Amino acid sequence: MATAAAVVKRPATLQQASLWSDAWRRLRRNRMALISAVYLVLLVVVALVALVHTPYSYREVGVARPYSGPSSANWFGADILGRDVLSRLMVGAQISLIVGVGTQVLVLAVGVPIGLIAGYYKGWIDTVVSFIINVFYGIPDLLVAMILLLLLGPSLNNIIIAIVATRWMDMTRLVRGQTLALREREFIEAARASGAKPLKILFGHILPNSLGPIIVQATFGVPAAILFEAFLSFLGIGVQPPTPSWGSMAADGLAAIRIAPHMVIAPSIALSLTLMAFNFLGDGLRDALDPRQKR
Amino acid sequence: MATPILQVRDLRTQFLTDGGIVTAVDGVSFDLYPGESIGIVGESGSGKSITALSILRLVPDPGRIVSGRVMFRDQDLLQLTGEEIREIRGRDIAMIFQDPQSSLNPVLRTGFQVDEAMLAHGKSKGEARARTIELLKKVRIPAAENRYKDFPHQLSGGMRQRAMVAMGLANAPSILIADEPTTALDVTVQAQILELLADLNRELGTAIVMITHNMGVVAGLCSRVLVMYAGEIVEQGPVEQIFENPQHPYTWSLLRSIPRVDALRHERLRSIEGLAPDLLRPPSGCRFHPRCPFRIEKCYTDEPRLQEVAPDQLAACWVTMERARKEMGADELVDIRPGAGSGVHKGELSD
Repeated sequence: MATAAAVVKRPATLQQASLWSDAWRRLRRNRMALISAVYLVLLVVVALVALVHTPYSYREVGVARPYSGPSSANWFGADILGRDVLSRLMVGAQISLIVGVGTQVLVLAVGVPIGLIAGYYKGWIDTVVSFIINVFYGIPDLLVAMILLLLLGPSLNNIIIAIVATRWMDMTRLVRGQTLALREREFIEAARASGAKPLKILFGHILPNSLGPIIVQATFGVPAAILFEAFLSFLGIGVQPPTPSWGSMAADGLAAIRIAPHMVIAPSIALSLTLMAFNFLGDGLRDALDPRQKR
Repeated sequence: MATPILQVRDLRTQFLTDGGIVTAVDGVSFDLYPGESIGIVGESGSGKSITALSILRLVPDPGRIVSGRVMFRDQDLLQLTGEEIREIRGRDIAMIFQDPQSSLNPVLRTGFQVDEAMLAHGKSKGEARARTIELLKKVRIPAAENRYKDFPHQLSGGMRQRAMVAMGLANAPSILIADEPTTALDVTVQAQILELLADLNRELGTAIVMITHNMGVVAGLCSRVLVMYAGEIVEQGPVEQIFENPQHPYTWSLLRSIPRVDALRHERLRSIEGLAPDLLRPPSGCRFHPRCPFRIEKCYTDEPRLQEVAPDQLAACWVTMERARKEMGADELVDIRPGAGSGVHKGELSD
């Protein structure tokens, strides 16, 4: 009798699994996504440690012979001024993470409300928003970022603002599309029929239903922003010396690639691994949050 | 007789489509008295759902209410501001929908959604929560405290519709509009939901407007019935009277098409010949004439108005079943193709 009860009870507890725990279960089974998540956690730890301790100061010149390769004292070698590359990579991780996450927070803050309102109210608001989105898509990203950085000056905050200016459209369009589809659903009509206020419908009913795609989009947005920052820094209009960015470190190393390839290789690998990790995680989240997958 | 709680007068709702203007609701008028339960029946596309949505001004795009009045407690709902009508929705007039699967938000807990119906109208969180549990019990959801935390997909279809009913009753509305609330449910569950609605109607005095295509549902729950065809009311009256003695050929055909358990085994299922009219180009004269077995010449050209055919019973028909029975042998008619009873086949290809 006791065993019978246990057998009967089991599907009930399985059913208790909400949408999110379902997604978490699927994500855990995706090995690449899991490895990526572990790597990213480690990267965050490294960036946090760099706040209080690096092997050497990232800006102290002459701690090793300029251009010297990896050694037990300087694991990743030294750069053109004899600064420790490992210490600079650690600080560079901070920059990359701040830029990557910071832009996506701002992109969410801009894209979600605008997308919700445009998609829900349609009409002229939607026409105006769609027009602006198309205008921004029409101008090359680099041009927008360069003009903004020239006007505002190349600080970390302004780099984030410049990247947001080139990246807010994707999120806005995604949320708008989701809202356009969801607003026709019967439960939205039911909410309206029960007298729910428009803001409640937008943020209490439509937003929770589009969280999955939004999370995936934001996860893919992080590496895109990191890469863009590296690119801007590589061109010299991003993070300014002596603050290290993976992009500017690679640019510095390029001049000496024949005699000291580690100066290019170290930041490039750090950048590539991070971009890959975010993309694998995004892929994993997309699969895990897809409600059609019932594995 | 008491004064009506809801008076709909000459309601007209149109949809502007690429093909032209579709008048989905065309001059509908009716009264609803406090505590009463009326049924609006008709085929798909007859305008019954749009009538219900028009009352709460929830007509989907590209629909527009173009004229008419909906008087509720001395105010015309069609003249209220957006905020005023929002206050009415869910508080004074609530609505429940056809498919409980899709009318509950899949990512929010069921109890929380019932709470929200009250939070929208100024109740505090604590009050709402306590009342939700009470409501879930009232609609006979077992283990209400546990079901409160369940997501909609964890409930059965019947439970979900009960939760929807609880949501509808949350603010003790004086009118509950039920848009085909049992269509998506199993037959046994249908009966339970109808019984629940009948009990609530009796106990709480909530007036019910039941939208359905099922005459059986009307018979079980309602005291009066409005029959809609192609956007118009073609017959209305007390339920027993209409079932006993329908005067509009459309109502008569609808009732005839209900399958009977005691029918002879070899008897064919009776249906109404033809299709519901295209509302982009509604038929001239009486809109039912292309499908009507008893049509006369006049039906092709002149549109009949609702007129009293018996005490409290109105029908919009030039012939009416009384005459069809006497002169056209309606009761013996087996073949009910258009014009079969009257022999009028004007303008058809066979002529």
